[in-house]
Amino acid sequence: MRLRGWGGVVLAIVIAVMLVLPLVVTSSFAVDILIRVLLFSFIGSAWNLMGGYARQLSLGHSAFFGLGAYTSTLLQIDFGISPWIGIIAGGVVAMLASLPVGWLCFRLRGPYFTIATIATAQVLMLVFLKFRDFAWGAEGTTIPNLGYAPLMMQFETKAPYYYIVLGLLAISLMITAWIERSRIGYYCVAIGEDEDAAEAVGVNAPRVKRDIYMISAFLTALAGTFYTQYIYFIDPQTAFNFSVSIEAALVSIVGGIGTLWGPVIGTVLLETTSAVLQSRLGNSIGGVQLTVYALILMAVILWRPTGIMGFLRETYARRKMARA
Amino acid sequence: MADALVIRNLSKRFGGLRAVQDVNFTVRENETLALIGPNGAGKTTTFNLIMGFHRADTGSVVAYGREVAGLRPHDVCALGLARTFQVAKPFGGMTVLANVMTGAFLRDKSPDAARSKAREAIDFVGLSARESTAARDLTTIDQRRLEMARALATAPKLLLLDEVMAGLNPAEIDQAVALVGKLSKRGLTIVIVEHVMRAIMAVAKHIVVLDHGQKIAEGSPKEITENPEVIRAYLGSGYVHAPAGASS
Repeated sequence: MRLRGWGGVVLAIVIAVMLVLPLVVTSSFAVDILIRVLLFSFIGSAWNLMGGYARQLSLGHSAFFGLGAYTSTLLQIDFGISPWIGIIAGGVVAMLASLPVGWLCFRLRGPYFTIATIATAQVLMLVFLKFRDFAWGAEGTTIPNLGYAPLMMQFETKAPYYYIVLGLLAISLMITAWIERSRIGYYCVAIGEDEDAAEAVGVNAPRVKRDIYMISAFLTALAGTFYTQYIYFIDPQTAFNFSVSIEAALVSIVGGIGTLWGPVIGTVLLETTSAVLQSRLGNSIGGVQLTVYALILMAVILWRPTGIMGFLRETYARRKMARA
Repeated sequence: MADALVIRNLSKRFGGLRAVQDVNFTVRENETLALIGPNGAGKTTTFNLIMGFHRADTGSVVAYGREVAGLRPHDVCALGLARTFQVAKPFGGMTVLANVMTGAFLRDKSPDAARSKAREAIDFVGLSARESTAARDLTTIDQRRLEMARALATAPKLLLLDEVMAGLNPAEIDQAVALVGKLSKRGLTIVIVEHVMRAIMAVAKHIVVLDHGQKIAEGSPKEITENPEVIRAYLGSGYVHAPAGASS
């Protein structure tokens, strides 16, 4: 109970710091890094519902990221609809898209499922590359810059973007915390542990996986819209970039899959490392950033497969036991 | 007494192997029926057919008046049938309480209600002291207890126990026998697959013997132990102490 009390205090401090941070940090480079950290924490936490709790290792979440990005952009450019509405529409499109994808892929287990999700995202990218009259093809398009237009999700400074993505992350963390404590959360973990045993105690595994996939897809699509609005540009290569899928899984695995804060902690570690490396070494040694990434991942998988959260939990349990 | 489970002409083939051939038997409400036979006789396959883990080639399984052949395992479970697995399948990373709550969620959506139902089932199998232990850290007998508690939490009318005593020492077998007796007193209908004859004699009033996928005998424990064909196929002349660790 005492720890929970302290946890609440720490959480309140973190929230307060996050809220005032853009007022203190004025360097736009630094705010940009913060936005990236929050964005990937958000994508990671959306991925984590599916890949972490239910252990359905998807490497195709860029499909939903891209669908979200394209839906809101098409609505905005072709129909003048605000991205604030487009972001929800994108979420719904991704949610609907997850139904056939899940229906096809869920009959596969393990690596076959993973490969099927990769293929889905790649196929979507090819679709948007080929059909040029529908969505600008390979060149993509820029988002018309309206200057300061909050109703169109456009701002002249970076701080508002920071608060939007902070809000998105807060929403997905709250959803995750709620799921963790409710029936669907228990069912997801049970399916991840042993699908047959879960079925034997009445868990409708295909339905639970479908539901969690829909939630995960919806949230991931929101990130797609946000990112497009933030960089004012969209093309199939950025919207359906494989590295989004990888990053979503990576930050969760490093931080600790199936834990509330795992994706956030993983992103903070990986993004800061990569930002520091890039600013220190620049482009003097090509690929060093990726090498370090790979080393961190290998270290985690070899020594701490439960991620940083798992490591912290074990340490805490050991200390508690030593005290008792 | 009414019929809880009626199995008619049940058959299942795996490639060239006839795992279950034309098996018929009936389980009455509140009785404990034992399904015995040598390794590979088709006992676990029969369980898998009843619970929907395999699809029967032919035949029917009627539970409480409803045809369950062709249903998915979770639907069968929702109708009031629960099982344990021959090789325990706990949700290893979850605590004992979370494991059993997962079962309890079938009847109660609210976590609080599920938690209290789960605690009841955990208490019933005598695992309360281990409530917050991760399932993978339990001993063999405690994992079996956990499986029973998890199955019980789904509020079944019929419980299928697949070799819950395999790998237990004699003292633990006594505990397990007592637990099965307690379940039966609670009004549960039980079908038990077991190799430990001592345990079967203690809990079952009715025995069905399978060999090579076929039913070769059925009757009271006394009739079964005196049946020459059963002695030849399974029991042997000195059957009383069948190996406790045997598994099929």
